[in-house]
Amino acid sequence: MPKLIIDNLPVEVAPGTTVLEAARSVGITIPHFCYHPALALASACRLCAVKMLDGPVKGIQMSCSLPAQDGMVVSTTDPEALKMRALVIEWLMINHPHDCPVCDEGGECLLQDFTIAGGHSRRRYQGDKRTHRNQYLGEHIYHEMNRCIQCYRCVRFYQDYAGGTDFGVTGSAGRVYFGRFEDGPLESPFSGNLVDICPTGVFTDKTGRFRARYWDYQFAPSVCQHCSVGCNLAPQVFQREVIKIVGRRNDQVNSWFICDRARFDKKGINDPSRPRAPRVDGEATDYEAALDALAARIYDFVEVHGPESLAFVGSSRLSLEGCLMLGELVANFDAASLSFYGDPAEAKGSQLATELLSGENVAAPADLASADCIVLLSVDLMNEGPMLAPFIRKAWLGGTKVYRIADPALLSGQQLPFDCIEAATLAEVPLEQASRAIVVCHATRTPREELSDVAATGARLAMLQPGPNGFGAALVAREHGARPFDELLAARKVRGIVAFESDLPVANLKGITVLGCADWQATELSQKAGVFLPTTTWMESTGTSINFEGRAQRFERAFRPGYPLKGLDAKYYAQSRYGEPAPGQPKTPPPQPPRIPRGEIPGGQEIEAWKAMARLLEKLGGELIVEPLTGSWQPLRDIDPEAGGERIFSLFKSSEPDTL
Amino acid sequence: MEQVLFRHNRPGRVVTFKEYCDEGGFNALRKAISEMTPNEVQQAVIDSGLRGRGGAGFSTGRKWSFVPRDLPGPRWLICNCDEMEPGTYKDRVLLEHNPYSLIEGVTLACYALGVRHAFIFIRRGYEKAANNLAQGLIEAKEAGLLGKRILASEFSVDIDLHLSAGRYICGEETALINALEGKRPNPRSKPPFPATKGLWGGPTVVNNVETLANVPAIIAKGPGWFKGLARNAEGAGMKLFCVSGAVKNRVCVELPTGTTLREIIDGPCGGMKPGTKFKACIPGGASTQFLTPEHLDVPMDYDTVAKVGSRLGSGAIIVFEEGCCLVAATLNLITFFARESCGWCTPCREGLPFVKEVLTRIEAGAGEERDIEILREHVKYLNYTFCALAPGAMAPLDGLLRHFEAELREHIVQRKCPFK
Repeated sequence: MPKLIIDNLPVEVAPGTTVLEAARSVGITIPHFCYHPALALASACRLCAVKMLDGPVKGIQMSCSLPAQDGMVVSTTDPEALKMRALVIEWLMINHPHDCPVCDEGGECLLQDFTIAGGHSRRRYQGDKRTHRNQYLGEHIYHEMNRCIQCYRCVRFYQDYAGGTDFGVTGSAGRVYFGRFEDGPLESPFSGNLVDICPTGVFTDKTGRFRARYWDYQFAPSVCQHCSVGCNLAPQVFQREVIKIVGRRNDQVNSWFICDRARFDKKGINDPSRPRAPRVDGEATDYEAALDALAARIYDFVEVHGPESLAFVGSSRLSLEGCLMLGELVANFDAASLSFYGDPAEAKGSQLATELLSGENVAAPADLASADCIVLLSVDLMNEGPMLAPFIRKAWLGGTKVYRIADPALLSGQQLPFDCIEAATLAEVPLEQASRAIVVCHATRTPREELSDVAATGARLAMLQPGPNGFGAALVAREHGARPFDELLAARKVRGIVAFESDLPVANLKGITVLGCADWQATELSQKAGVFLPTTTWMESTGTSINFEGRAQRFERAFRPGYPLKGLDAKYYAQSRYGEPAPGQPKTPPPQPPRIPRGEIPGGQEIEAWKAMARLLEKLGGELIVEPLTGSWQPLRDIDPEAGGERIFSLFKSSEPDTL
Repeated sequence: MEQVLFRHNRPGRVVTFKEYCDEGGFNALRKAISEMTPNEVQQAVIDSGLRGRGGAGFSTGRKWSFVPRDLPGPRWLICNCDEMEPGTYKDRVLLEHNPYSLIEGVTLACYALGVRHAFIFIRRGYEKAANNLAQGLIEAKEAGLLGKRILASEFSVDIDLHLSAGRYICGEETALINALEGKRPNPRSKPPFPATKGLWGGPTVVNNVETLANVPAIIAKGPGWFKGLARNAEGAGMKLFCVSGAVKNRVCVELPTGTTLREIIDGPCGGMKPGTKFKACIPGGASTQFLTPEHLDVPMDYDTVAKVGSRLGSGAIIVFEEGCCLVAATLNLITFFARESCGWCTPCREGLPFVKEVLTRIEAGAGEERDIEILREHVKYLNYTFCALAPGAMAPLDGLLRHFEAELREHIVQRKCPFK
């Protein structure tokens, strides 16, 4: 363990730690542009200069590429180091356009911060600035090349980390240019990370430019609910509209990055046709009245048809709290049924995952990077878990062989950022020879026997789930004896359902009354429901979800729900920014909310699904539950949303009998 | 005077394969393969005191000795013929007259290093030299001196000629390796040095043309003989000097190491241009500091030139006469370096154009007193770059500030170039 002294502070770090990281560990930020923890060293910007006063090397050194060694005495504030850093800033400012007021990066710009910190304020260079032509990079990213400070982060991310091939660097000396060979949309499904990784405003988010400044945004640590990987991200919200979404670090799950779907797909949340008001038989009402109506209808229904003909239906979109509350609701009726799944394959697969996986045989996304054999088993990686791809690429670059057992029905045509060896069956893959093999599969597609065989070889499993909280829903399904909806249909007992954030196809519901539906999307089911209860989206909710590897992660409410304060301005909504309005919804957005002082937010009656369930339960005569995480779930109450999440396997030590 | 590299030269044409062989060519290779072990060849090169002729002046034999011989996978040898430093043309003259010494030298180095495949990385503009080499490689192969089982021994080596796409930075050894791999010619960070991790991750030696061309003579006649060629005790062997600028004859000559500047100018160059007086010279290509009349009797060897604050470099001497504006000369050199920066690190990419802008202004009569401070800052802080390009580029500017600050000030005070 090297011991060194940085600015008079003694520091002890792990071998291989750089001086810059060592300084960081004691709270000293050495300015840097090209250094990024997730990328290979470049040592290009020369901003992280420090002076080595004593030790194996002396004088001005670049701290980002200098490994900490015993006996080093480092000064980050030596006049010579400060002068070097001031000069680097002056050099970078020679060609930077100083257009901060009209730059969307302003306020969240590393270059601004370090220019101010570096003390450069007067221009001594008297020549012209070099200018570049900008490129059209598609509908998501705006390119403003004049701002570039040539830190090479973008190209190191795009080519080396993400495996993209259509973006790179051309030219030399002062004419270095970062772009595509010709104008056109960026092809990589990870291209949006250029916005995050660029230390200045070369790449800005076209879907949210010029709407607000950094200090205007409401932030919260959130977890993506598009797929079961559970990438950490943070929505940037201004006046109740999600303007941008940025990646959030979680070394085990998504490193620093998120895929383009997570970043740019804000449609559902900002959707102008999103149902905001509770409805009873199509008439808007307030939440209390709607809950009363639903409770009365359920009561009547049970009186007439008996509790065995009632089913409560959820989905893997529900948070863990939602799933657990749904279980409580069902427990309130003696013979009512619970279902989380429309599709029996989904039920079976998710259930299988909870039975098969343990803390020992499950693989986190980051584990893929150090695997020595990887198998893609009937999985559409770029749609079902895209953020696994960069980790697999990293292993592949290190010489790991990646096998693909393709399912012809799944070939999405998307290119993988690594080469695969095609195999027909698992038997062709030399799993036994590997010591850190990982099989990436999908819970719904591979038979139990085959996966048990895989687990027996010692290979670990990355079993992707059909829904973002599929693993959590499956655990609750097991605990409360949930059944696939098809089974309930086949038994012909169910005559009425109450659905919470469910995606059941309406076509299956012939002869079944949809008593109530709670959702934040305008689903078909919500159109058919007698009572509709609007719920909050995951960005407006605090809750827990469990990703495919059994990692419970807390997400926090980024903003209170309601119509965007700015009104649903046609300028922003008419350009199909959020897609076409749903069928039956008006083409023009709802009017500007009234600017009269009052306590409640217009269109802001939504509550979290589990709270809607809790209130319904209270109205049905049950006791009011204010904390759904009880019993063995209790430890999950204290999860720190910024600490990377916790594996839930320790909560369930003994394996429970198969209840499906 | 005894010639080593130019021994086989024919005036106005390239020496033929037969002529080269008749004059003892490839005997060194025969001797090495039949009588010497690879280690003995390396030891002979170490003992000879041969130092890298590309400019850095590092002991060639010691550079070879850093290559680990026990790693799995191939080792590589690259001959750096990307000669692009302003003023330097010695390798071109050498190869346009005789490609065989280099081919034999590369083969010998491969024998010493256990290399199976070598590359000659040649500047794109050197078409004649490249043609000579290509022809020479065919002839050597046909004569069984190259390729599989050379001279019926177990030793095999192939040499590939690679025409560079053409940038000055490709002369930096790690940038050259990147270029050869088909990547952008950005230098790599060191360590790891190419000797342990170079081309495609394998141990790699990169040597200059002149360095390798000296090896056959060292093997044929012995390291003691080679060392004795020098004029000074520390020196070793002969050195090619290519002179340009204000001399009567601009020549490329082979002279013993340690020959003084005065002897070079007055001897083979026939003195200064009629009616001119020596003012300064650059002793070893554009990235070395100016020498002044007081340095005329300095022996031209690595350590002796370094002692007076400059570098022997590539031995490319550019002579300036009295009345020649050294600010303009420095500006000319900086313009070259600013253009040839690879664009990787900030100080080089942005600092060199800054210096160029300041010098342009001073030369045009728009200089200010504070500009001298700017120039001094750059001389100091452009040392902290990723590779040696920018520090090299600052050498003439450093020399200008050290020896000719008065001239620089004169530009600023008079608000014009005093020589115009």
